[in-house]
Amino acid sequence: MSIVLTELTKNFGDHVVVNHVSLEVHDGEFFVLLGGSGAGKSTVLRMIAGLTEPDSGKIELNGRDVTFLPPQERNTGFVFQNYSIFRHMTAAENVEFGLRIRHVAASERRRRSAELLELVGLAGLGNRFPHQLSGGQQQRVAIARALAQGPAVFLLDEPFGALDVKIRVQLRQSLKEIQHRLGVTTIQVTHDQEEAFELADRIGIVERGTLVEVGTAEALYHRPRSEFAATFIGGGNVLVGRAEAGHIRLGGATLPFTPDSPAHEEGAPVRVLFRPETVRLQQDRFDPGGPVQTLARGQVRDRLFAGPIQRVRLDVDGLQGVRPITPPPAYGQRTTQIDSIQPSDAPGALFTPGQSLWIGVEAYHILEPTGLKLLICCDDTPGGAAASEFGCRLAHAAGGPASLLTVVGAAEGVAQARDRMEELRRRTCGQHPMIHTRVRQGQTSAEILLEAQEGSFEVAILGRRSDDSEPALGATATRLLEQSDVPLLFVTSPRWPIRRVLICTAGGEPGKANILLGGRLARRTQAEATVLSVYPLRPATGQVARATRHVEEAQATLEAQGVRCQKRLESRDNAAACILEEAESGDYDLIVIGAPRPHDRRRGRRNEVVFRVAEATNRPLLVVPVVT
Amino acid sequence: MIAARPRRSRPSRLPIFLLLAVLLPLLLMPLAAVYIFAGRGGLPAFQQAIADPDAQFAIRFSLLIALSTAVVNGVLGTLAAYVLSKYRFRGREALTVIVNLPVAIPTVVVGTSLLLLWGPIGLLGKFLDPLGIQPMFAPLGVLLAHLFVTFPYMLGAVKPVLDELESTYEEAAYTIGASRWQTFRYVILPALRGGLFSGALLTFAHSLGEFGATVLVSGNLRLRTQTAPLFIFAQFEAGNIENANAVAAVLATLSFLLFFTLLRVTQRERPEGV
Repeated sequence: MSIVLTELTKNFGDHVVVNHVSLEVHDGEFFVLLGGSGAGKSTVLRMIAGLTEPDSGKIELNGRDVTFLPPQERNTGFVFQNYSIFRHMTAAENVEFGLRIRHVAASERRRRSAELLELVGLAGLGNRFPHQLSGGQQQRVAIARALAQGPAVFLLDEPFGALDVKIRVQLRQSLKEIQHRLGVTTIQVTHDQEEAFELADRIGIVERGTLVEVGTAEALYHRPRSEFAATFIGGGNVLVGRAEAGHIRLGGATLPFTPDSPAHEEGAPVRVLFRPETVRLQQDRFDPGGPVQTLARGQVRDRLFAGPIQRVRLDVDGLQGVRPITPPPAYGQRTTQIDSIQPSDAPGALFTPGQSLWIGVEAYHILEPTGLKLLICCDDTPGGAAASEFGCRLAHAAGGPASLLTVVGAAEGVAQARDRMEELRRRTCGQHPMIHTRVRQGQTSAEILLEAQEGSFEVAILGRRSDDSEPALGATATRLLEQSDVPLLFVTSPRWPIRRVLICTAGGEPGKANILLGGRLARRTQAEATVLSVYPLRPATGQVARATRHVEEAQATLEAQGVRCQKRLESRDNAAACILEEAESGDYDLIVIGAPRPHDRRRGRRNEVVFRVAEATNRPLLVVPVVT
Repeated sequence: MIAARPRRSRPSRLPIFLLLAVLLPLLLMPLAAVYIFAGRGGLPAFQQAIADPDAQFAIRFSLLIALSTAVVNGVLGTLAAYVLSKYRFRGREALTVIVNLPVAIPTVVVGTSLLLLWGPIGLLGKFLDPLGIQPMFAPLGVLLAHLFVTFPYMLGAVKPVLDELESTYEEAAYTIGASRWQTFRYVILPALRGGLFSGALLTFAHSLGEFGATVLVSGNLRLRTQTAPLFIFAQFEAGNIENANAVAAVLATLSFLLFFTLLRVTQRERPEGV
């Protein structure tokens, strides 16, 4: 193994630039670190070369621990984006520099530099000074110079970033050939996906200092595990459906899980990726038993002719309960968009805007489930502190990613708020690598809702005032309760651990979402659950039987998920009072309650069970919007 | 209808003439006057004036001091430029201002301050005096004054070049295997060539003409601390216009030569930097 990185970490001030990166690069492999700017990929490369010292972790080159060696003793070849060839030396002198330092005889030096200059395609230009060479030629000199003393590993930091497209393509081909011929273990850093695909034996995707995923270009394109890899590489459609009875529910469509799909809990969100080129469009429905799965019916939004292909984007209206991740929904837009690539010889008339077509997918891929994705809303109040502490603990237990969010007013400093959040993150969440911070500016409840939607969070955690006399709902909490599509978890104190969960299915029609989410939480925190259903003293015909059946089904579902579960049926007119009494007598650590969807919710909200429970309890309360 | 062709109005040449009219008496004529007066007595008179031992000493002493100043400040200025450009430390901004201060301070004030520090009754001088060390009114004092006055020139010529040199330039050398010293010697220093040369020339030229500080710290002792500018001033005061003019002409010629060399160097360096 040529390069082995173990838990490499680097902070610049308060900012984590590289976060526990571990990586093994094989002998002779061409490895590409791919990521956006500021992702920390260059810092990884600089640490390997010894130009930046890691805060912790270990670097081994060819079995030798070089973590604390100076760059001179690591025997790496490094190519910089800005060439950095010595301008007072000729091309040949540049290449010979490393050999001159090592006191290699002049004749041997000359032979070697001529050989290398020929290798990089600059034969005969050895006597030129840098200012007599083009940018591409200068970078070729830099490559030759880095290879001259036979480095153990070859490191390139965005080497083609400053060159124009045509030169870039040529240079890429040369580099691949050179690397192949010399068989030197290579790591290149780039933000250019095409470059990564063309050069790499394997690609590592870096985001916010973390190595998200490693794999061959094909694997990352067709079978990515993470959402970031799926959306960063290639164009694609990622929709979030739900696991239901062993299938994926995607609005009106039901897709079977593919054989290689990772296991999903019942009711958990399922992220489905399908590339635009696997989307089929036609006027008639697809055959149910055929190779193409029908997704929905949509309208052509626009069409772009791009030579060998044409890109068609469609608006789909009927995907209820489906959250699109990419293409990202435009602001204020209700419909879901689907990107497709069609052969350019397909009749263009079929794709005129407004045309209604059936959309099918020929191949799709299921991403790894993330665990619960939590949005933790913090502010300076004691309630906010409780939310952050509770949220971090829950994130830890749920093993999912989380964001610490704060919303500042238009007049407040975003930078200061960001520092405050970083400080808070360090204090409460320690080095948990999957917790990030986020600052938004504007009206609190609206920004929380936007963030929850854009980041497709599964639960938003909010702190509440905890006056013992009157646990009233604040304005923000009330507004969120009225408007949120995302489950809300209110906490007044960081009550931990969660041992007992009370799942109430009292309000209106029995829903499934609250039971499934409550069950997932209970399973992750290893709590035991009680399913409670309340029906009126004088029930309508069949209501008791329905409630009984529902509670039994809920118990079965939860037990199938591995949650220890009890069921309770109560006959009371005041459901809220019943729930509150049960919560007190059983000393539950979390109450889960279903709520009507926002547009049904606003009418007569005072009388609704959700509001009455929310106003009367100090225990953590999870409100789940229920699709009825 | 054919549109009338817009008449191109030629820019007026008046500003050029105005500038020349101002510059002629202000800059060009005084320079010419030096040569005219120096040559008025003919070549023999000029040769005689130059051959005067005092004049000979003054010119040689000036050249020696200028050379020493250029060498010492060449090293010190490069070090200062390197530190101020490549290191980040507290007080860096303040230090940058301080090392550039000598440009702004009147040279006479510099002379006075040096006397108050190193003079026989100065802050440090009073401890040195009993030991028989007397930097003021001696060649060493002249050198000290010149080092002070010309310090910013080297810095000003070298620091911008260093600032422009990306840190990856050095890092490239390190990864290739060059030590810090080798990197400085073979990579940084050659890149500074132009800046070093022009900085040294500038220092030399300024030192050659320094008057204000020198007149105070040297004591104007002939054949000991009298530089060429001091000699010219002394001869003028004594009424020996010819002697003064001859040395002035030599000084002016030297300065011109230096200046044109400098011009050539900076012009040649520029395209390489691009």
